[in-house]
Amino acid sequence: MNCLQKNPATRRYLQRFIPTMVAYVVVLLFVEWFVHRVHPTGALLDGMAVLPAVPIIGVIAIVGMYLAEEKDEFLRNLLIQSMLWGLGAIMALTTVWGFLQIFTPIHRFQPFMTFPLFWCFQAIAVGALQRKYR
Amino acid sequence: MGCMPKNPAVRRFYLRTAATTGIYIVLTIFIALYFYRFHPHGLCAYLLALLPAIALTGFIVTIGLYLAEEKDEFQRDLMVQALLWGLGGVLVFTTAWGSLETFVHIRHFQPTWTYLVFWIFFILRTPFLLRKYR
Repeated sequence: MNCLQKNPATRRYLQRFIPTMVAYVVVLLFVEWFVHRVHPTGALLDGMAVLPAVPIIGVIAIVGMYLAEEKDEFLRNLLIQSMLWGLGAIMALTTVWGFLQIFTPIHRFQPFMTFPLFWCFQAIAVGALQRKYR
Repeated sequence: MGCMPKNPAVRRFYLRTAATTGIYIVLTIFIALYFYRFHPHGLCAYLLALLPAIALTGFIVTIGLYLAEEKDEFQRDLMVQALLWGLGGVLVFTTAWGSLETFVHIRHFQPTWTYLVFWIFFILRTPFLLRKYR
């Protein structure tokens, strides 16, 4: 999205999105370190385990804010289309993996991989859509 | 979406969704029975596991067709918002479950549940959106 940074809504989106993604990685690493080092139990362990979902709620809110703030209908449409492709791809992948997991000795799918994989598919979709509309 | 069936695009969307969901359910039952009875392995097992994903791809195409065919911008926006809420719900839910699974050792999340989780969030959000815009 070479031209996007010129757009104020996109600039705000990136300014919010990047720190939240960094927070997600930091929280994930912190929780991993904390659990293995301190070995918490009970409610503290449950709370720590759910913590990585908080930045993801932030990411969802940021995407919603971008869609509300973006005046350029084409850019808004591009994001929506790419997210729908990402959604489709992640649902197809988890369905195939799920069946393979039930019936074949394939490695277990880690549910928290859904989030990074979704963004990988979304990024591929953005590239493809940009080529389509060039 | 009380008034939706009057709209031809929505009617087609409902019919296509019912068809793809029906095919998805039939394929899922067929594959489960086939695996339990014939215990396929190798390439055959992988190909069979891919089958429900084809129906799921049909569902994604159905959404794309609806968004392309819907003339009413408000209805299209409602659908996009509900889809994004479904997507957001899936991402938050799988991340939280993934962390709980890793650190608290709760029951393993079957990847095939992703599709169901998406629909639960999609359906839960729709009445709130309708109330918001009443």
